[in-house]
Amino acid sequence: MEMIADAISWCLIVPGCFFLVTGALGLLRMPDVYTRMHAASVIETLGATLLVLGLIVQAGLTLVALKLVFVLALLFFFGPVASHALAQAALHADVKPVLAEDRRSRNLDSGPTGLAGSKEEPSP
Amino acid sequence: MRLDLILRVGAKLILPFILLFALYVQFHGDYGPGGGFQAGVISAGMVILFAIIFGVRAAKHVAPPRVVEMMVPGGVLIFAGTGVVSMLLGYNFLDYTGFAHEFLHAHEWGILIVEIGVLVTVCGTMIAMFYAFVERGRT
Amino acid sequence: MILAAAERAQTAEQAAGAAATVPKDPAMAAVTANAETFVMMILLTLLAAITLAIIRQRNMFGVVILASIYSFLMASVMLALDAVDVAMTEASVGAGISTVVLLTTLYLTGSVEYPRPRSVAIPLFVSLVVGAALVWGTIGLPDFGIADAPIHKHVAPTYIEYSKKHEMPPNMVTAVLADFRGFDTLGETTVVFTAGIGVLLLLQGGWRTSGNSRRDDEDNELDIDGGEA
Repeated sequence: MEMIADAISWCLIVPGCFFLVTGALGLLRMPDVYTRMHAASVIETLGATLLVLGLIVQAGLTLVALKLVFVLALLFFFGPVASHALAQAALHADVKPVLAEDRRSRNLDSGPTGLAGSKEEPSP
Repeated sequence: MRLDLILRVGAKLILPFILLFALYVQFHGDYGPGGGFQAGVISAGMVILFAIIFGVRAAKHVAPPRVVEMMVPGGVLIFAGTGVVSMLLGYNFLDYTGFAHEFLHAHEWGILIVEIGVLVTVCGTMIAMFYAFVERGRT
Repeated sequence: MILAAAERAQTAEQAAGAAATVPKDPAMAAVTANAETFVMMILLTLLAAITLAIIRQRNMFGVVILASIYSFLMASVMLALDAVDVAMTEASVGAGISTVVLLTTLYLTGSVEYPRPRSVAIPLFVSLVVGAALVWGTIGLPDFGIADAPIHKHVAPTYIEYSKKHEMPPNMVTAVLADFRGFDTLGETTVVFTAGIGVLLLLQGGWRTSGNSRRDDEDNELDIDGGEA
């Protein structure tokens, strides 16, 4: 029984660590603020979720497991909210994304406030 | 659809739990890590998050500046007042033995009241400082 | 009889707590001690790296964020040293409130640092000499965390025995803070109060008439859409 719990938690914690390393690598290597945030949000959703799930399996059916469930819910719901706030702050500060092709001139009215006045010519 | 809809919904979900956690840390300081300082800072953090997401004007309805300014010396009053009360009961200053009939309960009451004093002062100081900085920037 | 049952429960809980952190098997105890040292070394290396980054960073905004990361790492170090109360205080004050207050200060002053007016040789020399003297002074200290260092023999055993004998609250840190050393906590609260009053006088003295500020009807600049409900 203990071995099964250990095996399950190994299968959860090791992919969690893999996603943590991947997210950190993406944070270092991506060219732009927005793509870096996209890579870093992997850390707080997938990485932390898998890690905490592995810890819940390790903790068994105790009060610690219930507290870990609450920590998991907090990270899972409010990590992306924090990333969203960061991205919106970057947009508000007029940080321009690095684009391969600019399609912004097609939908002018519903664009975000920061970039509405700075469109470029669409590539032919 | 407004730009900050996700932030507003997220803040509305999490703010009561932040306050609940601050009170939990305060009242469980006897049995686990916690106490007045941590609880004061966490509850001030709740008001500051409210001010960041919904605007300082809305935050001033939740935590009026007058109340916050009275909280700053109020906590010291509670703490020192506990000491004076125990002196009036015939014991030394800040000796909690006179608060109940039994040693254990008297000391628990004393610790609870002084930690509430610390919570009030720390929370009031943090919120008042935040209000002062924001007021200064409105030029 | 209730008190005796409570005492047995408390000693059992403390024994269980001690057994949970140090396993009875000597091989596992050695592995645990090595893992703790390894974690501690990683955290301290990260602390040193963050400090170097703070020194080299020119933009104040980046320095504030790095200082917040430093506080978080410091809280982790304190957690690894089993000082949970201090870790929680450091995390909430250093990584929470302090960062917010520094960011509002940057909002008031702007986040570019002026260039250094003079050379850095003499301050570097002075700090190296003082640092070397401090490191030389720590050689004479007893080993870190052993049980019979003089600091652990003076007052701490009295507190622990008094707490156990009189059935005080299980968290001895709160008992020491609020009961044995209540004067010091009163002094700390007065210091927080004085610092708050000083900051309020510096930032608002002379502006406020009575009650709320005069500028209540403008939009504030802190949120995107002007603070409408």
